[in-house]
Amino acid sequence: MPRQTGVAGLLARARSLLRALLRRDQIESEIRAEFQHHLDLRAEDLRRRGLDAETAARQARAEFGHQDSHREDARHARGLRLFDQLRFSWLDVKLGLRMVIRHPLLSLAAIFGLAIGIPVGIAPAHVATALEAPLPGDPEHRIRAIRNWDPVATRVQASRFEEFEFYSRELKSFAALAAFRTASFGVASDDGRAAPVAGAEMTSAGFAILRVAPHLGRALGAADGQPGAPEVVVLGYRLWQARFGADPAIVGRTIRVGRAMRTVVGVMPDGFRFPSNEQLWLPMPDEAGNVGRQAAVRIVGRLADGVSAEQAQAELGAIGPPPLAEPTEGRLRLRPEVVSFGLLYLGLPRGGLDTMVEYRLVQTMMLVLLLVACANVAMLVFARTVTRFREMTIRTALGASRSRIVTQVFVETLVLAVVAAGAGVLSIDWVVRHVNLAALVGEAALPYWLSLGVTGRAMVQAVVLAAICATVAGVVPALRITGRAGGRSVRGRPNARFGGLTSALVVGDIAVSVAVVGLAVAMVGKATDLKQDDRAAGIPAGEFLAVELRLPDDGSLATTGPDRERFATRLATAQRGLVAALSNEAGVTGVAIADALPRMDHRSRPFEIEGVERAAGARTRWVSTVQVDVGFLAALGRRVGSGRDFTVADRESDRLVAIVNTAFAEREFGGENPLGRRIGFPTADDDGAPEWHEIVGVVPHLGVNMINPERGAAVYVPAREGRINPMQVAIHAGPLPERLVERLPALVTSIDPSLVMGAPVVLSEARQGDWYLVMAIAGGLVVLVGVLVTLAATGLYAMLSLAVSERTREIGIRSALGAPRPSLVMAVVRRSLVQIGAGALIGLPFAARFVFELGDHSKGQVSPFGSVLSAVGLAGLIVLAIGLVSCLVPTRRVLAIRPSEAMRAES
Amino acid sequence: MTRQAELPPGTLELMILKAVSLGDVHGYGVLLRIEAISKGAILVQQGALYPALYRLEHQGLLTSQWGTSENNRRARFYRLTALGRRQFGEQKASWRRLAEAVAVSLATTPQET
Repeated sequence: MPRQTGVAGLLARARSLLRALLRRDQIESEIRAEFQHHLDLRAEDLRRRGLDAETAARQARAEFGHQDSHREDARHARGLRLFDQLRFSWLDVKLGLRMVIRHPLLSLAAIFGLAIGIPVGIAPAHVATALEAPLPGDPEHRIRAIRNWDPVATRVQASRFEEFEFYSRELKSFAALAAFRTASFGVASDDGRAAPVAGAEMTSAGFAILRVAPHLGRALGAADGQPGAPEVVVLGYRLWQARFGADPAIVGRTIRVGRAMRTVVGVMPDGFRFPSNEQLWLPMPDEAGNVGRQAAVRIVGRLADGVSAEQAQAELGAIGPPPLAEPTEGRLRLRPEVVSFGLLYLGLPRGGLDTMVEYRLVQTMMLVLLLVACANVAMLVFARTVTRFREMTIRTALGASRSRIVTQVFVETLVLAVVAAGAGVLSIDWVVRHVNLAALVGEAALPYWLSLGVTGRAMVQAVVLAAICATVAGVVPALRITGRAGGRSVRGRPNARFGGLTSALVVGDIAVSVAVVGLAVAMVGKATDLKQDDRAAGIPAGEFLAVELRLPDDGSLATTGPDRERFATRLATAQRGLVAALSNEAGVTGVAIADALPRMDHRSRPFEIEGVERAAGARTRWVSTVQVDVGFLAALGRRVGSGRDFTVADRESDRLVAIVNTAFAEREFGGENPLGRRIGFPTADDDGAPEWHEIVGVVPHLGVNMINPERGAAVYVPAREGRINPMQVAIHAGPLPERLVERLPALVTSIDPSLVMGAPVVLSEARQGDWYLVMAIAGGLVVLVGVLVTLAATGLYAMLSLAVSERTREIGIRSALGAPRPSLVMAVVRRSLVQIGAGALIGLPFAARFVFELGDHSKGQVSPFGSVLSAVGLAGLIVLAIGLVSCLVPTRRVLAIRPSEAMRAES
Repeated sequence: MTRQAELPPGTLELMILKAVSLGDVHGYGVLLRIEAISKGAILVQQGALYPALYRLEHQGLLTSQWGTSENNRRARFYRLTALGRRQFGEQKASWRRLAEAVAVSLATTPQET
C-alpha cells in the first residue's frame, strides 16, 4: 500500500510518533491489553465450537503467534524502530563498567588515548569562548568595549580621549561609557619603601559600569572625576594585604602614590584586577584637561537596557566618525567597533578566533589528532569485542537483533569515552588551576577575567565528543563483527583482523611515533643547545649580566606636556649615572642599554621601505625593532659589518637613522647594499605619514631570533636618553659576571632610590618566548608519542593475544608434529613484527630529516651524527618497547601450550 | 467453505480499511469481518493484524478509542478518518484496475497475442 505523502499524513505520523515517545509505557500496556482481549474473544469462540477451556486458550495463543515478536512489530509500526535500536538500559552501562574491569590493560590504554584526545579536541573552542566571555559579575554580557580597528594594519589602534568625549555625548546605545589607561605607579608602603604597582586611571563611570562592590569603603564615583576633586585612590585587595598589612582602617588614610599624596577611599575585593592585573585605581577627569584630547585611552561601556551589541554597533556606524581635532589619513581610515572586552584587550579581530586562519588550522590539527586516537581505540574495542563472540552468538540466538548488540557495544565504548573525557577534562582543569599558563606567553599572570577552568559548556562539549568517539570507536567494530559476511571465519568464529585497518593503524602509529621522536629530539636539542650557542646571540652571552631597571612613571609617560619632560630628564640622569657607575666597576668593559637585549623577546612594529610599493591587499610587514642607547653595539663588543655605528649626534638630530641586521638586509634587499635606503615606521599618532629612518649601518645577528637567526630581522634605532623605560642593561663583566649581583642593589639605589631593579641574570640564561614555545611543543610531541606508542602496543597485544586463543589447537597440532618452538612463536608474532618493522622503516627517514633540517647541520656547524644517533636510539627504544609489550605475554602463552591440552580444550 | 488464500503483500491494509469502513470495530472484530466479507476465503495471521492496524493509525488513516465490547470488556475500537476514507477510495479503485488488468492478462489466449 503506498505511503501517505500529504501534509495531513505527515502531521498524523509526527503526532503518533510524539505520543509513542512521550507515553511509551502506556502504549506498551495498551498493546498488551488489546492482545489479551483478542486472545480471550478467540478462546471464547473456540469454546463455543466445542473445545474445553484449556485447549481453547492454548489454541488461541498458538493461532495468534509469538506475542513478543508482534509487540516489537507493533512498536515499529508506530515509528519507534530507530528509537528501539538506540534505546539502552542501565544494565548496558553496568556491563560497560564491568568490561573496563575485565580488560584493564585494553581499557586503560583506550581511556589514556581518549583522555588526551578529547580535551585536545575541545581546547580550541574552549579558549575561543573564554576569550569572548563576559567580565566577572556581568552574566548578561552588558559590558562592551569600543575600539578602533585599522583595516590596513589589521590591528587595533588606540582610541583618543576626544573620541571618548564624542561617544559619551552622542551614543544612546550605552547607558554609560568610561575611558581608562594603565600605568605603573610608585606606591610607598608603611615602611616608606616605594615599589611600582600596576594601576589604572579611569573616568568616573568606570566602577559604575563594572558594578563590583568594594571590599572596604567605596569605589570611585562621579564626584572624583570633577575638576578640583580631592586626590583619592582605590587599592586592590592584594596590594592592601601585601603592602599595608590588610589594615582594616586603611580607608581615610593618606598614602604616597607617585609624587602625590592620595586618600584611600576603598579596597576592591580579592580577584578584581581590572582591566587585567591592576591593583590600583585613580580617577581620570571626565573632561580633557591635563589628560589632553589626544591622549591614548581605552573605552568601555555598559549597554543600555534592551539594546543589543549589534544595535550599538549599528548606531556607532550611523553617527559617523568623531570630529577629531587633527584628522589624519591614518585616523580617518579606522573603523570603530563594539566588541567584547577580551577582544579589545587582546587585539583580536571582531569575529574572535573563529575568523583567524591560524585558529582554524590548529582546530583541524587537534581534531585530526582526536580522530587518530579514535581509530586506535576502535582497534582496541574490536579486539575486546571479538573475545565475546560466543556471548553475542548466544544473544542473537535468543532473539537479540544486530542493532541491539551494536547498541550494547556502543554503550560499552561510551562508558570508556565518558570516563576518559571526565579524566581528561579534570586533568586540564587541575593544570589550569595549578600551573601558571601565563608564563608560556611571558606574562606574570593571565588577565583576571580570563578563566580557562572547565565550564559546564566545556563538559557538555566533552560529552558530545565522547559520544562521537564512541560512535566511531564502538559502532564501526561492532558492525564489523556482527556483519553477516564481515568477520566470520569458516569455523563460525570471527577473524581476529579488523580488515586492513589494524595493520594500517599500527604501521601508521609506529611511523608517526618514530618521526615525531626525531622532531622532538631535534627541537629539544636545538633549544637546549642555545646555552652555548653564542653564534645566534652574536655575543659571548655568558660574560654579560643582564638586569631590568624601571623608573615608575606614575602615568606621566601617557601624557604630553611638562610632566612627561620632567620624567624624561630624571630618567636620563639616572641612565647616565648608571653607565658611569657601572663602568667604574672592576672588570666591566661595557654597559649596553636598550629596550631589549640579545636572547630576549623583541618588540615588533609595522614598517615600509621608501620606494617599495605595497601590492593592494598585501599583508602589513612587521619587523623587530630595538631602541638602543648610543654605544650599544660597542658595549656588546660588536661592530657594524658595513656602514657606521650610531653617534651622539644621531639621537638629537632631526635626520633619523637606523642600523639593520643582516637578516633584515637579506630579507628586504636580497643582498643589495641597504645603506642610504629609508625605512618608515608609523608615528605614535598614526597620522599616516611614516617617520623615515635612513639606514647607516648593518650588523650581524644579535640574538633577535635564537631558534632561527636567519629569520630574526631587526632594525636598531637610537633612543634619546631618558626615553627607554624599562631599560634592559647588559653589563659586560667578563667571566663570572654574577659576581656583580650583590653589588648592584646598592649601586642602583645610590643613583636614584626610585629605580626599581629586576632580578639580575647572566645573559646566557635569558630565554625568548619562542624557547618556551619550542619546549612546550616538544613536550606535547612527547605526550603524543606516549599516546601512540601505548595505543599501538596495546592494540598489537590484544590482536596477538586473540590470535593465540584462535590458533591454540593449530599450535598444539604443530607442536605435536615436532615443530620447533621458535617457529611456533614466529607463526603467531610474524605479522606484528612485520608491522613494527614497516612502521619504523617509514618513520626513520622523516626523523632523520627533522634532525637535519632543524639542526642546521647542512652548514657544517654541528656534527649531525650525535643527534641522528639520539633519534635512532630513541626510535629503537620505542620499537623495542612496543615489541616487548605486545609480544612478550602472547609468546609465553604460545610456549606454554601443551598439545594434549590444546586438543582436549578444542574438542 | 471456499479454499482459504493468504493475502498478497500490501493488501491486508486494504482489507482492514474495508472492514473498518463498515462500522467501528475492535481488532478481533476486524479479523471476523474480513473472514465474513471474504466468505472465509481470506486467511489473516492473527498476530500480524495488530501491527497493520497500528501502522494505519500511525499514518492517520484510522483513529481508535477505548470502549466496551460485546462481552462487556474494555476494547479498542477503530474508525476510519477522513484521510483514511479518501485513501480507501483511491486504493479500492487502484486495486480494481489492477485486478481487471491481471484478470484480462490471465484470460488472454495464444490467438489473442
